[in-house]
Amino acid sequence: MTPKNNILIGIIVGLVLIASYNIEANPLDFVEGFPNLGIILEEILVLENIVDNMKYVPSALLAMLETLQMAFIGTVVGVVIGLPFSMLAARNLNSKFVYAPIRILLAIVRTFPSILWAMLFVIVVGLGPFAGVLAIILYTIGFVTKLQFESIETIDSDPMDAVSSIGVSKFQLIRYVVIPEAASHLLGQMLYMFDYNVRQSSILGIVGAGGIGFFIIQYIKFFEYGKAAVYLFVVLIVVLGIEWISVKIRDKYIVKSQHGMEVTAK
Amino acid sequence: MTRANKTRDSGNETIQMTQNLSFSLISTNKIIQMSNVSTSYDSKNFALEKINLSIDRGTNYAIVGQSGSGKSTLLKLMNGMMVPSSGTIKIDYVSPNMNNKKFKKMMHTIGYIPQSLGLVKNITVLDNILIGALPRLNKIQSFFRKFPEHEVTEAKRIISLVGLTGKENRKAYMLSGGEKRRVAIARALMQKPTILLADEIVSELDHVTAKEIMNLIADAQKRMNLTAIMVHHDMQLALEYANRVAVIKEGHKILEIGVEGDTIVDFQTGDMTTEEIMEMHADDTKK
Ligand SMILES: Nc1ncnc2c1ncn2[C@@H]1O[C@H](COP(=O)(O)OP(=O)(O)OP(=O)(O)O)[C@@H](O)[C@H]1O
Ligand SMILES: [Mg+2]
Repeated sequence: MTPKNNILIGIIVGLVLIASYNIEANPLDFVEGFPNLGIILEEILVLENIVDNMKYVPSALLAMLETLQMAFIGTVVGVVIGLPFSMLAARNLNSKFVYAPIRILLAIVRTFPSILWAMLFVIVVGLGPFAGVLAIILYTIGFVTKLQFESIETIDSDPMDAVSSIGVSKFQLIRYVVIPEAASHLLGQMLYMFDYNVRQSSILGIVGAGGIGFFIIQYIKFFEYGKAAVYLFVVLIVVLGIEWISVKIRDKYIVKSQHGMEVTAK
Repeated sequence: MTRANKTRDSGNETIQMTQNLSFSLISTNKIIQMSNVSTSYDSKNFALEKINLSIDRGTNYAIVGQSGSGKSTLLKLMNGMMVPSSGTIKIDYVSPNMNNKKFKKMMHTIGYIPQSLGLVKNITVLDNILIGALPRLNKIQSFFRKFPEHEVTEAKRIISLVGLTGKENRKAYMLSGGEKRRVAIARALMQKPTILLADEIVSELDHVTAKEIMNLIADAQKRMNLTAIMVHHDMQLALEYANRVAVIKEGHKILEIGVEGDTIVDFQTGDMTTEEIMEMHADDTKK
């Protein structure tokens, strides 16, 4: 370890301490508050309560379905709208005068967390899942375009050069070379984005933008931790399920094609 | 006249106009002309310096030289991927430059097979070959990926010509090195080219496959009256197939010979016997 590194570590530790002081992050509060968690758990884990709360599972599943729908629509529409922007933002396809302004625009879109978009759209289109869908779309555009244009920039320049030397149009180059070359990455990013958006959609209900989060926040507000736990449990199971499915899809279609292995068994 | 005036070529426009006239009168036969062409990738070293070349239509032209001598660079100048820092190049009297509209149209019929082949890995052999027909599609066809029936038929004909029948639905990354080269050749032929630029496409192949591929191109070249310009590592191979061979060394053209049967005619360095020429190159490759 060089002295330079030591200084750097010292500075980082110092900054963490200063930052903690400022936001009143006190480990003692955490230790003192810990028993509160016990009280919550106690209420949740009482057998009668569990049996009693089971009757909320169907409505939790219904709310989760709405959440999934929001995430699905938001992801697909966001990715589809995002792709042309990514093509314009890629430095290997455009001149500075095109990609620079597009990148600035996308950076601005990316600045807003989804919950802020949701609050904005609740004001614009009213309470409900539609506001949530719009929020997810905007968030997806901001986020996925960065992944997309970065992966477009890393595609092999050889086929691009070879095909541009035929004198094809920019559109043809994108349609016939860039997208096929980047396809597995683009698909992987879409899955990742869906994964991420399911979790996000679960909390957008907090600001009234639809989905399961609305119920969870209501129950927590009224100290009905048992019911909240049922809803949270449904979120957990579904998110894990989606994670599992996307790993399967990734293995089958993406990882193999990226490593140049045969994808479809004969 | 007005067209020549409109062409914004790097050279002097008036000179170009008169050249156009005089060339078309004297020899319409020159398809590629380079005079005093120099180019570089960085400001310090020339990749090519003061190259003079003139290639007749229908020639099977070979460029030979050591690694790093500037062969690939020479081809990139011919297809407009690079522009010279000085000197002029004319392909059918147009300066090759991707940003020149007139040349961009010409690129449709210049088949270029780069050293790296440049296949799209994740699509099939057939789809790779159909890329050569893209300039002939209209906007709607290319948006929906709808190739006309006759283009697909043509692609299949070329597939059998290059010996890839049965592999048309294979993904490109699943092919062997020789098969990949055949696909790249087929894509170039699909362009219905008048010029074929091929960069060391047989260098890494075994002797038999190399010959097969060279014969394939030689056949196509004769049948389509192509002007083929092929880069080789191997002088022997170049002499076997080409009518003309230019030798490049450290960015300079040091020799140009014509091959007619067994006789070798020296065009650049004066009197040299066949043995001397062969020996000269043997020295080159040994280094
Ligand atoms: N993209 C590049 N950037 C900088 N220098 C380059 C680039 N491509 C080639 N060069 C340099 O230009 C010179 C000529 O390269 P070129 O690729 O034309 O050689 P070559 O004769 O085709 O060699 P090889 O037989 O190895 O393919 C070399 O010195 C090389 O290092
Ligand atoms: Mg080369």
